[in-house]
Amino acid sequence: MLAPKRAELHTTFAVDSSFLRTVSHSQRFHFPDWVNRFIPFLAILAITAVVYVTVVLAFGTSPYTTNVGYSPKQPVPFSHKVHVGNLKMDCRYCHSTVDQAAHAAIPATQTCVNCHSAANPDGSVANSAIHVSSEKLLPVRESQATGESVEWQKVHDLPDFVYFDHSVHVNRGVGCVSCHGRVDKMDEVYQAEPLSMAWCLDCHRNPEPHLRPQEFITQLDWEPKEDPVAVGARIRAQCDINPNTNCSTCHR
Amino acid sequence: MKTTTGKTYWRSLDELQQTAEFRDFLHREFPVAASEFPEGLTRRRWMQLMGASLALGGLTGCRWEEEKIVPFAMRPENRIPGEAEYFATSIEIAGMPRHLLATCYDGRPVKIEGNPDHPSSRGASDALSQSTILDLYDPDRSDALRQTRGRQSFRRSWQEFEEFAEQHFGAMEASGGDGLRVLVEPTSSLTVQALLRQLVERFSKAVIHTHSAIPRDNQLAGAKLACGSSFRTRYNLAKANVIATFDEDLLGLHPDALEHSRGFATGREPRVGMSRIYSAESQFSITGAAADHRLPIRSGDIGLLLAHVDALVRQELSERDKSIQLPILSADAMKFAEAMVIDLLANRGQAVIAVGPSQPPTVHALAFELNALLSNVDKTVYLLEDPTIIAKAESLAELVEVTNRGQVDTLLILGGNPAYDAPGNLKLAAAIAKVKTSIHLGRREDETSVLCTWHLPETHSFEAWGDVRSWDGTNCVSQPLIAPLLNGRSAIEVLAHLANDQRDAQQIVRDAVSRSLSGNLSSEAWAKLLHDGFHIGSELPVEKVGPTLMTDRQRWIQAIVDAPRSSPELVYVPSESVLDGRFANNGWLQETPGFLTKLTWDNAAILSPKTAEQLRVQHGSVVKLQAGSSSVELPAFLLPGQAEGSIGVALGYGRKAAGKVGGDQQSGVDSVGVDVNPLRTSDNLHFTSDFEITATGKKYEFATTQDHHAIDTVGLEETERRVGDLVREGTFKEYQQHPDFAEHRTHHPPLESLWEEPKYEGYAWGMSIDLNKCIGCNACMVACQSENNVPIVGKDQVAKGREMHWIRVDRYFQGDVENPSVATQPVACHHCENAPCEQVCPVAATVHSDEGLNDMVYNRCIGTRYCANNCPYKVRRFNFLDYNENLEEANRELVQLVVNPEVTVRSRGVMEKCTYCVQRIQGVKIDAKNDRRPIADGEVKTACQQACPTQAIEFGDLNDNQSLVALSHADSRSYGMLSELNVKPRTKYLARVRNPSPLLEPAAATLDTHHGSDHGHS
Repeated sequence: MLAPKRAELHTTFAVDSSFLRTVSHSQRFHFPDWVNRFIPFLAILAITAVVYVTVVLAFGTSPYTTNVGYSPKQPVPFSHKVHVGNLKMDCRYCHSTVDQAAHAAIPATQTCVNCHSAANPDGSVANSAIHVSSEKLLPVRESQATGESVEWQKVHDLPDFVYFDHSVHVNRGVGCVSCHGRVDKMDEVYQAEPLSMAWCLDCHRNPEPHLRPQEFITQLDWEPKEDPVAVGARIRAQCDINPNTNCSTCHR
Repeated sequence: MKTTTGKTYWRSLDELQQTAEFRDFLHREFPVAASEFPEGLTRRRWMQLMGASLALGGLTGCRWEEEKIVPFAMRPENRIPGEAEYFATSIEIAGMPRHLLATCYDGRPVKIEGNPDHPSSRGASDALSQSTILDLYDPDRSDALRQTRGRQSFRRSWQEFEEFAEQHFGAMEASGGDGLRVLVEPTSSLTVQALLRQLVERFSKAVIHTHSAIPRDNQLAGAKLACGSSFRTRYNLAKANVIATFDEDLLGLHPDALEHSRGFATGREPRVGMSRIYSAESQFSITGAAADHRLPIRSGDIGLLLAHVDALVRQELSERDKSIQLPILSADAMKFAEAMVIDLLANRGQAVIAVGPSQPPTVHALAFELNALLSNVDKTVYLLEDPTIIAKAESLAELVEVTNRGQVDTLLILGGNPAYDAPGNLKLAAAIAKVKTSIHLGRREDETSVLCTWHLPETHSFEAWGDVRSWDGTNCVSQPLIAPLLNGRSAIEVLAHLANDQRDAQQIVRDAVSRSLSGNLSSEAWAKLLHDGFHIGSELPVEKVGPTLMTDRQRWIQAIVDAPRSSPELVYVPSESVLDGRFANNGWLQETPGFLTKLTWDNAAILSPKTAEQLRVQHGSVVKLQAGSSSVELPAFLLPGQAEGSIGVALGYGRKAAGKVGGDQQSGVDSVGVDVNPLRTSDNLHFTSDFEITATGKKYEFATTQDHHAIDTVGLEETERRVGDLVREGTFKEYQQHPDFAEHRTHHPPLESLWEEPKYEGYAWGMSIDLNKCIGCNACMVACQSENNVPIVGKDQVAKGREMHWIRVDRYFQGDVENPSVATQPVACHHCENAPCEQVCPVAATVHSDEGLNDMVYNRCIGTRYCANNCPYKVRRFNFLDYNENLEEANRELVQLVVNPEVTVRSRGVMEKCTYCVQRIQGVKIDAKNDRRPIADGEVKTACQQACPTQAIEFGDLNDNQSLVALSHADSRSYGMLSELNVKPRTKYLARVRNPSPLLEPAAATLDTHHGSDHGHS
């Protein structure tokens, strides 16, 4: 049925209510006439709703909300660019549990101190020591001396109801770069990917483009020589990779 | 559809008699006020609070919370952050050795399980040992030393105590420690015993006293009568064809219950053979419920029953001596004894006669003699040296006597809470107050510590070195799983200090254990001992005493006949929840429903309906029990199967200084239950006829879970009609004739789905629960609570039907109200392939995984509760309130440590239920994927399965047809509960098989094997 024209609204209401009265033979409540003045607001409400939904959707999925680019200030301005990009250190030198456990483990101070030990009390310096008196490394030396931890800011923060496991990804062909981006080019680490559930599911539903041979897992600049999908498909068949999309895979 | 069982089951007397209360309960969809807001808050006030918190939430919730990562400065070797590590350890709970495996995350013990390598545990555990982990993180544990002088008390440090001890005990040295008394709990720890000897070496006049509120001395005394030495008895139930218990709970509160349970299950495999169990007892015990024949008989008459059994055995062996005329027992009892004797004689060398700790020594002696006569000794019954005996130790009564004579200057109480659990006639509190220097080492500031001049905080067993001996004497070591959280020290450390021993605790334990193993333990051997938790082959030798048994039979029988046997009697039983009161502050145990009463957060005077009628008492009416000058008032609980004239009261309740859970007078927290220790006397700790019972006219509300989840009258009738289908039972004879009898309990039209059923490839998880093995011990419930962060809700909430347990143990009575048989059935989510809950969820918060799990997605759930309404098994639990509120606040620092990091902590408004321990499945799956191999059968163990002492639960992959669970599903006894609804449950039960004596059971009803062509079975 077509909506009545504006001028007819008043009468339509009147007819309706009289009709009800005849049917029910009782005094039914009906809206007073002055309510009609508010009808234009319905249109405004509809427009607002559309705008609201659009804004919520856009905002909810925007990199701002998913924290892409988030790069907190760390107590020590540790540069992955220097260590990984220039010095070509393997990720697992520091993140040593990444292939054994859920957590990739932020290294203990001891790991930093392997190279950045403080000068001995007599002023002598160990052969391997680098930047023994750098001010930027003060928190590391303090931690070494006191045994108190260095408090790093968490960059890649999943919600608490998500149970992500590093080992099962890196042991089965998903490289570090897939989720963490080109860390070897980052002076200060930032979040490169949205880490949203939709983003996780993209790969779980279609893993081929993200799989690589086991020997290149930590090599951030590795590019397949052939079609990445073909490489991925081969690895997928080889390792029998069938990622789950069940809720309980990550939520439990 | 039709039912072919002629049996009627009922869940409670209220249900059986359809009382007004029960009908009222039924007519509300949820119990009283279940949908209302918590007391103390009006609806409006609640909305205001909610509004305020929403506004605040809006302001602070704009950005993600920033989190910190705090790595070690130096990571310990082999430590992987966030990964579980497992450590073997052993503890002793009131003389019950328990051998455990602790799961630790980042150095924090989170879950306790049985040590799978230990021969007495084999991975099994019980509700009590599962709960010890909650005790470790109890915020009510004391964290400081306190010295009281006059009316003032001062916080002290350990250094100050050491200074005091040096001076005080140094001064005593000259007199040889005259007036020094030490009170300890009986323990099998070699270390504690060695240190006590060292202490007596330093102070030659010091005297050791032992006290336990729930002692097993009578058995030792009986052994002394019969064999001349205080031997301990060990039973091998796996080899026993006939098990006869007399007031003895072999499967429940016996120290070796886990070993017994496994043996019991081994002997009850219908395909192989079935043992027969006779149980004569006054209180319903776990063993009694599992028995084929149970005789409710007053504890006072049990000795006489055994004397009749003895006489009948001798009559059959033509050795009857007619010198003593035995008073006659009831016809039922005599028939029971006759049937038992026939079986005992037919299974000589393959039977066990066990008498409980409540029976006097003469009854135990008679049982020893009878076991020897039937050649059970050394075959199913072994005698061995008792490792808990401390030479020259005296009793608590003697301590009170010398104290009252003013001969005690210094009293050292190591552990225990004697001021609470000592029998009332001793007036121990008054005696302790007379001692000039009294030192109490205890985990909390309890009833005893407030009387003492010094209180020292004690470590939890998980924080200290120690050793324990298994029931068979195997040497086991306890190792600290975490550094003392609250500045405590162990009894070993305190004793070592007082004995001037400079070694550290580990060395003392190591030396003591090495000595027992006759030699020096090498570092490798010590490391292996710590790793394994026990030293294999170190059990005590079996004493060969058979032929030297003394035959004082006549005297024992005369003593039994002469003992007073009047009705009614009052029986004191250890609580299955709080034991002797030591677990009073443990919310998990307080909330675990009694296995038979389904009573939570309370004790009661338990009596049979007939006795109640005679005494004119109703269920829930308060009675007054008076013994001598002491009296207590507690509510009456009518329990079918309680012996007529026997009133049972559980110990361990009514604590006044237990803590915020169990009752704390100082902070105004009411006690849970009623303390009955004042009624007890030291000459009979177990039962007495010397008391009076009167009704007070007051009424009391219990929080029981027995009638929960009843739907409505129509639903109830349907439930009642179907109980025989839910829990299916048959006799062994029936099983032999029709192994698939369970399947034929229900006949229904063929099941067809309206849509195409999904196929499950890969893993298909399923569970099987063997009702023939389930003894209803509640170990699975507490294990699940611990594993899955299931909240404690409190008594009020339980009364409203809001208990949160993911697995419940249903209990049904059947038959005669005065002597019913019992069936127990654990029920958790069945993970239906065609799940009714999934079909009604409006937000897809409960969905199916392609491995057949019914996943619950908490962050999608909006709390409509439609799923719970549509669940035919009633296993879904709703968070009506925020039971984990403020878990992250600073003052709950300790409590949050118990939370399993692998499982989400749920908040208010969210539905939850059993997940088949999906976190364990995922854990194993990730390991298997990393190793590129399939998951082996038995690799994934759910928490309930792992805890089960009888291994009644199997879990695994149904697509692997050689897996134990697939084999169980294919067993002829297998049936699905309510599978006629075409829900296709993944959990199936194996029907229970009873093995009644042909003499006592009428011929089994003939099975209706009528078959049409167009119906199915399930």
